[in-house]
Amino acid sequence: MNITVKSFANIRDVVGTSELAVEVSPGTSLGGLFEILGRRYGAAFDRQIRDQITGAIVPFLVLINDKTYRTTTDLDVALNDGDTVTIMIPFDGG
Amino acid sequence: MNRNDFRYKGYAGKLLRVNLTEGTWQDEPLTNELAERYIGGAGMAARILYNELQPGIEPFSSENKVIFLTGPVEGTMIPTASRIGLYAKSPLTNSFFHSSAGGHFAPELKFAGYDGIIFEGRARQPVYLFIDDGYIELRDASRFWGMDTRRVQLELFEELGSDELQIAAIGPAGEKLVRFACVICGCRALGRGGLGAVLGSKNVKAVAVRGQGSVEVPDMRKMKVFLDEIFARFSANPATSEILPRYGTPVLVHANNSLGLFGYKNWQDEFFPAAEGLSGDTMRKKIVKRDKSCFACPARCGKFSIIGEGPYEGVRNEGPEYEDIFSLGSMCGHNDIEVVAAAERLCDDLGVDAIETGVAIAFAMECCERGLLRREDTDGIDLKFGRAELIVPLVEKIALRTGKLGNLLAEGVRRASEILGNGSYHFAMHNKGLTFAGHSARGMPGFALGYATGPRGGSHHDGRPTGERTGLVPRETIEGKGEYTARINHLNIFTDSLIVCHLTESIWGPLDVADITVKCLNAATGMNMTLDEARTAAERIWNLIRAFAVREGYRREHDCLPPRFMEEPIPSGPSSGMVITRQMLDNLLDQYYEFRGWDKKTGIPTRDRLIQLGLEDIARDMERYR
Repeated sequence: MNITVKSFANIRDVVGTSELAVEVSPGTSLGGLFEILGRRYGAAFDRQIRDQITGAIVPFLVLINDKTYRTTTDLDVALNDGDTVTIMIPFDGG
Repeated sequence: MNRNDFRYKGYAGKLLRVNLTEGTWQDEPLTNELAERYIGGAGMAARILYNELQPGIEPFSSENKVIFLTGPVEGTMIPTASRIGLYAKSPLTNSFFHSSAGGHFAPELKFAGYDGIIFEGRARQPVYLFIDDGYIELRDASRFWGMDTRRVQLELFEELGSDELQIAAIGPAGEKLVRFACVICGCRALGRGGLGAVLGSKNVKAVAVRGQGSVEVPDMRKMKVFLDEIFARFSANPATSEILPRYGTPVLVHANNSLGLFGYKNWQDEFFPAAEGLSGDTMRKKIVKRDKSCFACPARCGKFSIIGEGPYEGVRNEGPEYEDIFSLGSMCGHNDIEVVAAAERLCDDLGVDAIETGVAIAFAMECCERGLLRREDTDGIDLKFGRAELIVPLVEKIALRTGKLGNLLAEGVRRASEILGNGSYHFAMHNKGLTFAGHSARGMPGFALGYATGPRGGSHHDGRPTGERTGLVPRETIEGKGEYTARINHLNIFTDSLIVCHLTESIWGPLDVADITVKCLNAATGMNMTLDEARTAAERIWNLIRAFAVREGYRREHDCLPPRFMEEPIPSGPSSGMVITRQMLDNLLDQYYEFRGWDKKTGIPTRDRLIQLGLEDIARDMERYR
């Protein structure tokens, strides 16, 4: 399956582009996509989304196409061919 | 080194009370009760002002008081323990207001031996307060009156013969009683609520502090264990170790806009198709030169910037921050980051809150486009969304109260809409007189409730957007959001009393007062407070501030949102269709009051709850308002 990953700020810096084409196996979940990106871009990617003590993905929102998903509850959501995944940055405050 | 006999460490153990009318001052010891029950910062100031201000006083009268206050952690090595709080009855909201800023002023005040300063009365001529360790002097500030905030800091370095001073100063806007005038400490703003104008009304231009003491902690070994733990958490968390240091708060432009939660054109929409021009990425590429930290903070979220070319070439700034970009950029319908940077610098120099200023301009633009403001009302300016070239001149007009338009907008959008009439209140985006910050009400019901019930009105630091925006709780739901918002209130007021920075709330909370936050207090003071006691203290302070508002006339009907948020669904973008109807808000308010033990009809805290919180005197006071 082909997935488009959209990102900005730190994640864009790590993957090198704001729109990235990623090929994944059928049935890959949202969490699976993060694993793939972690393998491809290494610790530099994981540092942007994972707590470095527990290794867990921290809370942030993700858009799959136009629908919002939560890393706290939705990492098992299956992706479909042609999906666009926009990664919101994990960020406090403002 | 300062030594004091106060029971708890962390505190300097005394306040400086300055009577401006008499030109006198005296030290005032802290009491155990103030520290144990109200912690410091916002909690302590709320108790002092509740006790000392008569209800109904005019904020610009000599009866109002202004307090600068630290918390027990300031001046220690605890990360973000840098913050100075400013407190008074606000000329925008007519109730208790608190605003805090990072930087270096608060630790310096502690090193000089004071937890805080209480200003009362009114000086006959402009003065500034000089604190040099134990030496105190009220000095003539006549020659500094009219100077901008940067210039007066430089002049004071020269007059006092040292640049190793920390200075808090008002600009011309504070002198001219612009209702949202701020106070600038170094490059940091005690921004909201118009407390700079209250200082101006007292003829106080500045406070200059130098201290060579230190802050004692009860047990250095235990403190080191705590510091190891808290710094490890800061290093492990992506927000504090990667994102804040690299992009600072402007990273939120992309995040909020991608979710359709970014106020655009006076909140007519919440999705700005051209927001990329204002993003943290664009800002970093175009103007950011280096990263800066407040005292003791590893997050380095300050972004020192220089504009390299164009009409604002050479303008230097620490910022802009996300809120400035929202208010002076997106809300005014343009995406020129250099205009925002120049306008924000001018806001700081002249001493006005950048959020209130930008939102006032957006209000005027909408009123003009709708024919509610005519050319003769705008001094001939054709106000239109997207006209970026107007922003800097309009900041100056407002901050200096120049012309009809400057004077009108200097009153804040609530009063401006009352003066204008003609239905303009529909476009005055505020609650209780304070404009909304750059976080959506319509797209986050819990946060909308925080805005509605916030004792400061449209502040994003009474409720917080973070839980809903990061998915810690479901964003769209209504059920459960009463308790959710109340617990976030408690986290906020506890951290505002310590005082630590809300930008690192995922460490200090993020959804309620947490164990680590109480450990922080105990490591600094030796109090041995439990988590339950800390949460009770936070609730006590929240109820105290509500009681202050009740005395000033605030009730359930004032816990409200503007018509636009209740009647107009977000028109476009990923959150299109979201709205907080009157019925939804009533549901949220009922949940909130029920959890809080407040009367659902009036919003006044019940006698029983106040007594449970140890606020017997306030329970008696509230009887006369029921």
